[in-house]
Amino acid sequence: MWQYIAKRILHLIPLLFGVSLLTYMLMWMTPGSFYDNLKQNPQISPEKIKELEAKRHINEPFYVAYSYWLLNAVKGDLGYSLAYKMDASKLISTRLLNTFLLSFFATVLAWAIAIPMGIVAAVHKDSIADRALSSVAFMGLSIPEVLLALLALMLAASTGWFPVGGSQSPMYDLMEPGEKFWNRVHHLILPTLVLAASSLAGIMRYMRSNLLDTLRAEFVTTARAKGMAEGWVIYKHALRNAINPLLTIFGYSLAGLLSGAFIVENVMAWPGLGRLTIEAITSKDYELVVATVVMATALLVIGNFIADLLLAWSDPRIRLK
Amino acid sequence: MPLLEIKNLKLDFKQGDKMLRAVDGVSFSMEAGETVCLVGESGCGKSVTALSIARLVPTPPAIYPEGEILLNGSDVLKMGKKELRSIRGGIVSYIFQDPSASLNPVFRVGNQIKESLKLHRPQAATDDEVIRLLKLVGIPAPESRIRDYPHQMSGGMQQRVMIAMALASEPKLLVADEPTTALDVTIQAQIMELLLDLKKRLGMSILLITHNLGIVGDIADRLAVMYAGQIVEMAPANQMLKRPLHPYTRSLMGSVPKLGHELERLNAIPGNVPSIGFMPTGCRFHPRCPMAKSDCSQKVPELVQVEPGHWVRCPYWSES
Repeated sequence: MWQYIAKRILHLIPLLFGVSLLTYMLMWMTPGSFYDNLKQNPQISPEKIKELEAKRHINEPFYVAYSYWLLNAVKGDLGYSLAYKMDASKLISTRLLNTFLLSFFATVLAWAIAIPMGIVAAVHKDSIADRALSSVAFMGLSIPEVLLALLALMLAASTGWFPVGGSQSPMYDLMEPGEKFWNRVHHLILPTLVLAASSLAGIMRYMRSNLLDTLRAEFVTTARAKGMAEGWVIYKHALRNAINPLLTIFGYSLAGLLSGAFIVENVMAWPGLGRLTIEAITSKDYELVVATVVMATALLVIGNFIADLLLAWSDPRIRLK
Repeated sequence: MPLLEIKNLKLDFKQGDKMLRAVDGVSFSMEAGETVCLVGESGCGKSVTALSIARLVPTPPAIYPEGEILLNGSDVLKMGKKELRSIRGGIVSYIFQDPSASLNPVFRVGNQIKESLKLHRPQAATDDEVIRLLKLVGIPAPESRIRDYPHQMSGGMQQRVMIAMALASEPKLLVADEPTTALDVTIQAQIMELLLDLKKRLGMSILLITHNLGIVGDIADRLAVMYAGQIVEMAPANQMLKRPLHPYTRSLMGSVPKLGHELERLNAIPGNVPSIGFMPTGCRFHPRCPMAKSDCSQKVPELVQVEPGHWVRCPYWSES
């Protein structure tokens, strides 16, 4: 077991190396630089810009700059954000909590609703309930996340029930602790709903089709032939098998929601990792881009790893080697 | 009163607007302790007939337009959910074709056997009883095997677990639906031997469903041959094996390869079982029958008793 975990972590190293190299190269090859804006500013002398560029190895060949970055990265320093004038790792860690809160609650919400919906739809196949749930799922799959986020913003703006974007009010620092907590929660509700709604339909459809497949399995007939009540046949024998393929999807969704949060975070002005990455790309804050991509890769691999552990725990036929 | 009496059983599958008849007027009965073999090619309706005894064919899509299945005197087709649950396992237990698919892969075999005990003999739902049952079906070292998962066992062992699970509820009738088809030939013989041994020791009735006439001789008291949803011949086993009267039964027996006989080719019956919904007119076997007469495609033959206990659905049976 520990050997397996160690192996998976060792696999992560070449992967992160490759991903960082590619991202760094791409950012380097695209025309323009972060300092192009500063060069337009007559108040900043060209000498000053030269000095800054030299400090960040901007004018040296790609491999030199990358080597400097890699040497620091090995020591745990993921580079320097030119725009924010601080360490990328520190910047990311402040944003990571926001993204995590949003993704975590959205994931929990989506799964807590989608799984029972899928079960009901499969058990009562072709009933009115199944058709109603399938229509809801179809709508959920058809409405783009951007549109849903915009509709949510419209709702917030026209009713005043929810704050329009952001993660906290401007007066946040002056609030009492209890008030602060409620203010955070209040800001979190709408983005969470939008993000959850966008993944709900897929999970529900997948649960439904998996359970339908399992209900046709021969061991379900065996369980019925024993004289078991239909409820037990479904919830013990069928569901326990139908859930296994969903665990893999769950692992992807752990990491996938972080990239899915790009859209929601941008539209709803949620200060998370997704928004930071987009900002960094447009302003050519290249080391910050590399740092966020490296982070996202690590999260994806960790998400898959968690899914594998869950699957091994749930399905006795799978042994980790 | 016979243990099982099936009277004029008809079963349709609804497909779109069409009704497809899978079982067409099957009747037979079984006494307590008797072993009956239902023989026929794939798709002849023998499995759905067997599954119907405990109403295990999902309805819909299946519909029972006519017939009765009297199990211990009460009609299974008229039973409510609760009554059905008590006869499933309680009176009739099943073992199926593919044990690796019939056992739930995520539960330990001991657990799955214990489930059956909990449902029908709750006071006996102990590890000791599970071990006794595993011993009964010839599983070595049962104490350690009860914690195995199905995938940790061979096919033969899995089928023994299925049999132990079926026996756990102490049924009066064991329905074995092609129990050896998915197994190696040597394992097949072992499983048949085990069934024969259990039959003798426990005095239980067995309904054996098979397409292999080669394995029925040792175990069966009576044989019923099915073709295209109907019984075409039924007789005491030794009588039918010695002197089959229906041309289909004779062709089936002719297709069993015998040890010591040199064969250029295996004797197969030409053609295929007519597919459900496209039944030939008249006698359903006439397109494949080696001795079909000109009127076989018009006249629908009846199942008639030609000797005591020997029923045949062919007017020309005496010409063999």
